Amino acid sequence: MAERILTRNFHLPESHTLRVYRETGGYEGLSDVLAMAPATIIETVKRSNLRGLGGAGFPTGVKWGFIPKGHQGPVYLVINADEGEPGTFKDRYLLEKDPHGLIEGMIVSAHAIGSRLAFVYVRGEYVQPWRIFSRAVQEAYDAGFLGKSILGSGVDLDVVVHRGAGAYICGEETGLISSLEGKKGWPKLKPPFPAVRGAFGAPTIVNNVETICHVPHIVQRGASWFAALGTAGQGGTRMYSVSGRVARPGVYELPVSVTLRSLISEHAGGIANGRRLKAVVPGGSSAPILTADEIDVTMDVDGLKNAGTMAGSAGVIVMDESVSIPEALMIVARFYAHESCGQCTPCRESTGWIYKMTRRIVEGRGRKEELDTILDVARRGAGTTICAFYDGAVGPYISYIEKFRDEFEALIPK
Amino acid sequence: MPKLTIDGREVEVPAGTNLIEAARRLGIEVPYYCYHPGLSIAGQCRLCMVDVGNSPRPQIACNTLAADGMVVRTETPKVLETRQSVMEFHLINHPLDCPVCDQAGECWLQIYYMKHGLYEPRMVDEKVHKPKAVPLGPHVILDAERCILCSRCVRFCDEITGTGELGIFQRGDHSEIGLFPGKELANPYSANVVDICPVGALTDRDFRFAVRVWYLETAKSVCPGCSRGCNIEVHYNLRRPHHNQGHRVARLKPRENPEVNQWWICDAGRYGGKFVDDASRLLFPTRGRENAAREVGWDEMVPLVAARLRDYRPDEIGVLASPRMANEDLFVLKRLVEHLGIANVDFRVPPGRPGDEDRILIKADKNPNTRGAELIGLAPRAGGLDARGMLRAARERRLKGLWVFHHDLLASAWPGSEIREALRALDWFIFQGSNANGISPDADVLLPSATWVEREGTFTNFEGRVQRFWKAVEPPGASLSDWEILARIGDALGLGAVPGRAEDSFKSLAAGVPAFAGLSYRELGDFGKEAATA
Amino acid sequence: MSRPAAVQFTAGELALVRRLQALYPDKRAALLPVLQLVQDTFGYISLEAEEYVAGLFDLPPAHVHEVVTFYTLFFQEPKGRHVVSVCHNLTCHLEGAPTVLAHLRMRLGVDVGATTADGRVTLLAVECLCACEMAPMLQVDDRYEGNLTPAKIDRILEGLE
Repeated sequence: MAERILTRNFHLPESHTLRVYRETGGYEGLSDVLAMAPATIIETVKRSNLRGLGGAGFPTGVKWGFIPKGHQGPVYLVINADEGEPGTFKDRYLLEKDPHGLIEGMIVSAHAIGSRLAFVYVRGEYVQPWRIFSRAVQEAYDAGFLGKSILGSGVDLDVVVHRGAGAYICGEETGLISSLEGKKGWPKLKPPFPAVRGAFGAPTIVNNVETICHVPHIVQRGASWFAALGTAGQGGTRMYSVSGRVARPGVYELPVSVTLRSLISEHAGGIANGRRLKAVVPGGSSAPILTADEIDVTMDVDGLKNAGTMAGSAGVIVMDESVSIPEALMIVARFYAHESCGQCTPCRESTGWIYKMTRRIVEGRGRKEELDTILDVARRGAGTTICAFYDGAVGPYISYIEKFRDEFEALIPK
Repeated sequence: MPKLTIDGREVEVPAGTNLIEAARRLGIEVPYYCYHPGLSIAGQCRLCMVDVGNSPRPQIACNTLAADGMVVRTETPKVLETRQSVMEFHLINHPLDCPVCDQAGECWLQIYYMKHGLYEPRMVDEKVHKPKAVPLGPHVILDAERCILCSRCVRFCDEITGTGELGIFQRGDHSEIGLFPGKELANPYSANVVDICPVGALTDRDFRFAVRVWYLETAKSVCPGCSRGCNIEVHYNLRRPHHNQGHRVARLKPRENPEVNQWWICDAGRYGGKFVDDASRLLFPTRGRENAAREVGWDEMVPLVAARLRDYRPDEIGVLASPRMANEDLFVLKRLVEHLGIANVDFRVPPGRPGDEDRILIKADKNPNTRGAELIGLAPRAGGLDARGMLRAARERRLKGLWVFHHDLLASAWPGSEIREALRALDWFIFQGSNANGISPDADVLLPSATWVEREGTFTNFEGRVQRFWKAVEPPGASLSDWEILARIGDALGLGAVPGRAEDSFKSLAAGVPAFAGLSYRELGDFGKEAATA
Repeated sequence: MSRPAAVQFTAGELALVRRLQALYPDKRAALLPVLQLVQDTFGYISLEAEEYVAGLFDLPPAHVHEVVTFYTLFFQEPKGRHVVSVCHNLTCHLEGAPTVLAHLRMRLGVDVGATTADGRVTLLAVECLCACEMAPMLQVDDRYEGNLTPAKIDRILEGLE
């Protein structure tokens, strides 16, 4: 059994309290880390091959390095706890079971990028996680881990916990910034990139909860330790959210070199009720679907990319032979139509259109040419929008139809 | 200055120029909806995509700044396919109700569909339905189904007027523009949103269903509504005279002039031209009052006016010029009063209510040519009376004849009783203007003037900028340009060298008044030039 | 929970608004939290409340309306004393969300999007609540409930006043 890093305390009762966190070694090395030069921390994170675990998989240390050199004025660290990718629930566990792990990660990361004010954007539906995390923040303030001159280090950090109000698009980093600023969650044009001009016009680093939770461990145990846990292109473990037709749905922290087959059949207990595997969505609903024959892939960013899909948020949705793929696509298409922010024309207009087409197909009122229309519309719209939301919708549109075309055609009246 | 290559041609542009504007300099048109040079970059319509360097995906030209050595291609197969797709996306939920849409003929969905769309329609599902024919305010009406959500109108209200009335509500394909429920779009610039709306979503209540735009012709002009002198276009309809209740001027639209009004005009100016086709127009030279009034020809009228001016002593005559008159008119008038030795000359009449003013365009002085009148010199000459002094002198029977241009003295700040008493005490009262007003019934001679859209000329704005306006329609009845009426009278009085065209008067003005030295119609061009006012 | 009278915060609530606004580099950033406070205080966010909030932030009301209409957790109409939101996204759908919704419609006698006549429950179908490991699941007020069966749903409903 590989070492668990982020979930090591999940089995402990009261794992969310400062007491248990400290008893298990939490905040122990913080003083030493705050004495380190920020550049050293950034360099360590770069060498660790830590990649963003919210969805895009961008190298974290590289992102931090985009803050303009010699910048004067505030820099903001924003934690993306707007977990919303269908099939993903790991950040909820982290907020509820290891909030101090996130706080310690924020202290180290904020020190590295020179931020003295950090925001944690928690999705509005996560009421209990928000309560638990907010209590932990208060504990941390009371114990001197947040606020002015943390542990006498001279390093300051204030944390504001901010609640969303129900919009998937706010998980997109610039949509999140717009929402944090009190606006609709419309993603922003790039350039400028957030690291140059983000929240409130200042350089801003937006990182996922899980990503930041890794940082203290990397800094204390070394870049090579972390890198060695993973593959050539991605270090460490990550938390796989496994759901659907498996015997044991749940969160599994494993090295990113784990294969999808092993994740499903060994860790999650295989397919429930003795049925056969039909398809898997490996990285949240935006990841292109894999057939049962395509699951001998490693679950790191590059492994899944090479398999024509993506690691995304590591939300693994397992479908057995009883699942109707056209119906699944209709559900997914409804989701993207509902969550399109409406800003860019291709996404605003075609998510609704494609949902209408998939619904008619499922209802037996599809037209012969419409499968190709969906594919064509999806391909033409891909890459034409401000943010990656539409590209995320295109993944399922195209892959579900291409890989299970027979099932769709069977529903279309001759 | 970055130098870049667009479609194989080099161009050098100022730093900070985006690729739409850089391409425009080469005459290359990159299509767009949400971009507007006067507003912030929204980047949401996604139509202006071009290929930039080796980038794997087309980029939006509006948010890409020209850079040195950049290679841009605007017509690659990928770009053309993307444009076509974006047109299809813009149109799938559009009602395609062109036959009943006021925008038809000047709609960028129509124009770009023909240029960049031309696909086979594939959308067979029910379209998204949204509110239709919703009045937003006194001037603007919304059809949310036609809206392509480019957000120009929202940005206009946020960034130009700062009033923020409009928003985009809901999300996804249910997004719609609108007002906060119960509020109005009633800021002083509200109708500019109609101009910048690229489609038929926001239309002008005043112009709605009046004339099809393809019957309209255009003349360049300058707004006479205040001393800003916003550049405008006069859109007029001569081809379907039975449309729009016979009104020839269908609408006024802003004309871009970065030095004066950028892309905008105020609503007061936009709807301020109604007097042109109003029933109050003075059409024929008229002598006598009320029942005794008789329309006469210019051949009878000109000698009559000339005789009055000749038969009275100069100090018994007052001339009240108007800052609504063009420079060409004022210059002939100035020559005439100098020729006759009349010192009682003025042009200033304080308005009854002070004009409104803001920091955008609107000026408190509601006259288009106050600065011109100042520069040309229509103020009282040595020993002469000013306007109020003339009225007092009339009441005291020291002044016997008064020639008033355009002013409605009863709308001035002065007591109406004083004015009426003064006018009644005169031996003669000549009123020259385009429309009847409060005092014109008291005149025993009416000289009908052409309005500014019925002639050419120039106004000098408050900054001293001299700007041309062009003739759109013919003067009605026997009305003539003020300068022409003055020239005919001057000719009868031996003034000599009277102008035959407005431009002749301007040439003499440029030769005779130092502030105008070096200016000519050609020099002024479409956008005007500063007079040497320093 | 709700205070239906005219929309006006108490002095204490106004102090909280100021404190929230001061947390951020730009006070507008407190708009979402303050709208949440409005909803907690008055039960929902009326147009009158939107204008009131616009005044607290020096914003045009249209900009507040944009925000209120964009987010799913803001209610523009009075809602029930309890809100039951059933996830109908992919995993929950595969695991029986349609059955859960059918059962709730039958038990409550209302359609999705509606509130029971007695004002007890508003029934909603929502996108992924990110608790797929307990699919099919729903959110009842602040609480997640998963691995739903008809019997469990009935127990949940019984607990709602």
